[in-house]
Amino acid sequence: MYILSSHEIKQLAQELQASHEVYGPQVDPQTQQVFFDQLTDVAALNLEAPIPSMPVKEILFPQMERILKYRYDSEAQSVTMSKQYFEKPKVLFGLRPCDLSGILVLDRFFLGQEFVDDVYLAHRRQCLLISNTCLNPFPQCFCVCTHSGPDADEGFDLDLTKLQDGYLVKVGSEKGQALADAHQWQLASPAQLSEQKAVVDHCIDLFPEMATDNKAWISRVMNRITTGFVKQETWEYIGDQCLECGACSFVCPTCSCFNIEDTQTACGECERLRMRDSCSFEGYARMAGDHNPRQPVEDRRNKRFFCKLSYPQSKKYLRPGCVGCGRCQWVCPGDIGLPNVVQYIRREITGGQN
Amino acid sequence: MANCHGNHEHGNCKTTGLCPIVTFPEVVNIDEIRDEIPEVKTFYLSFTNKDVEREFRIKSGQFIMCTVFGAGEFAVSLPPSPENDRFHISVRAVGKVTNALHALKPGDKLGVRGPFGNGFPFEDIKGKNIIYVAGGIGLIPLRSSIVHALQHREDFGRIILLYGARSSQDLMYQPDIREWQQNAGFETFITIDRPEEGWTGEVGYVNQLIEKAKVPVDNSVAFVCGPPVMFNSVIGEFLKRGMSEDAIISTLERLMKCGIGKCQHCAVGRTLVCTDGPVYTYRQIKTLGEQI
Repeated sequence: MYILSSHEIKQLAQELQASHEVYGPQVDPQTQQVFFDQLTDVAALNLEAPIPSMPVKEILFPQMERILKYRYDSEAQSVTMSKQYFEKPKVLFGLRPCDLSGILVLDRFFLGQEFVDDVYLAHRRQCLLISNTCLNPFPQCFCVCTHSGPDADEGFDLDLTKLQDGYLVKVGSEKGQALADAHQWQLASPAQLSEQKAVVDHCIDLFPEMATDNKAWISRVMNRITTGFVKQETWEYIGDQCLECGACSFVCPTCSCFNIEDTQTACGECERLRMRDSCSFEGYARMAGDHNPRQPVEDRRNKRFFCKLSYPQSKKYLRPGCVGCGRCQWVCPGDIGLPNVVQYIRREITGGQN
Repeated sequence: MANCHGNHEHGNCKTTGLCPIVTFPEVVNIDEIRDEIPEVKTFYLSFTNKDVEREFRIKSGQFIMCTVFGAGEFAVSLPPSPENDRFHISVRAVGKVTNALHALKPGDKLGVRGPFGNGFPFEDIKGKNIIYVAGGIGLIPLRSSIVHALQHREDFGRIILLYGARSSQDLMYQPDIREWQQNAGFETFITIDRPEEGWTGEVGYVNQLIEKAKVPVDNSVAFVCGPPVMFNSVIGEFLKRGMSEDAIISTLERLMKCGIGKCQHCAVGRTLVCTDGPVYTYRQIKTLGEQI
């Protein structure tokens, strides 16, 4: 473990900018909103900003992405095609542990199954992950229940924790160690190591009681969802609340459903686009000829929660599919963010007694 | 990875031993187009890259993702047998992309990714009787399996086809059917829904053929493909006769976009039709908890 001054941290970001696209949290001066975006000037990197409103998956799995370009000449009956996804070295600087866990879920899903997703792999291949211990959760956060925060314990190349005087730096990979060796960073003292623990404990204390109280309930709810014991009327209640806006899927760090469409451009070329999709949309499973095997809204709702909180899915991701960032709760107009769904199922188990 | 097309650099060949075309479509030429029945055409295809063609192997029951350039991509089952059969697809014009496909002519090009999916469990059913039950264009996904079984006739007991369509005009693969009817090792029973001038064969629904064919229940597997109404009545009939739920096999149809288990559109129950299916036993289908 090493200790770096704030100045050295900025220097590191600056230096990485020479060879990488560097992304990090920055606060919009006009709106005060936090965005995790590419840094043109490292001075804008703000490691103490609150959680960004959008997850960082945008960088590895964009909302819309061109994956193929082709031109078909029907006269000559000839086709030319070119692959459109490229590898650019990237650094994600100052990731929240919840967002880091989100990337681990996406990694295991896109890269760790029977088939590898080439497009995601191209983004991910040369990516350096620098996580940052969370100091200020927002009220909906519950990462303490899903083992994804407030500090990171796996998956990072470097991990930072803001201490009284400087940043404690943990190394998590060979890439990270190479950076540490090249710079001959100063080793941290035992006092600084225990200070890191105190910082994490302090952050846990900031969580609302409901979030920490739900910890034991998450696994009971997972059990319930996995074994199919959630009552139909509970799913229907949840389904009735859903406005099918899809916002939960778009702000979720682990939601990865996508659609693929070919579109004609003005110059006569065609592009194959892949864009994120949401399983809560009515047309999600509709086939040509209008056959839609999954119509009832509660079917679609429980699909999403099954994906986040069931053992078969968790086995794929080697952790729950939910990382506890609370963004879904924050954006949902129907009050069925994941923490609330846990609450509804919990009420069902306790017969209305919380 | 001996059979990798170089389309990607990883071990996508773990389960099949063959490397499918995963992300980037390969170009195929439309060599010939045949009208099958109203709305359905068969397209005979060949890869423009002959190296890919040599390495392209399918398993009976698998599917491909087919690109109609300018219109989009759709999933389609593979009717050819895995062995020395012309590469072709049979497609009903039912949506935007398939209508665009029907407007093409020989010489036009398509894109192909795949083959994907699990395929029929031929290894497990050696020595058994096979009963094929198809309704309408449900014969398309079964054709591959039928031709394959007939090419390995000695591996199986009785092979029976029960096939029904709305009218004689709606019977798929008529040249094949004529050939199959001549085949002494193959019992074929064909029916149409309503009487028709000049039709001397059976009239009625396909489930009524089960009695007629004296379908054996022990040591048999049934491959059933067709519209949900037919599917349900045929399954009911088989179960009534004591056939095991594991011995009834079908293929599911779902919206597919990626073919490799990532986009999730084909999620049904806890499985994905593109990688866990499209071939399921009736016992599995029953536990998926969704409409067919």
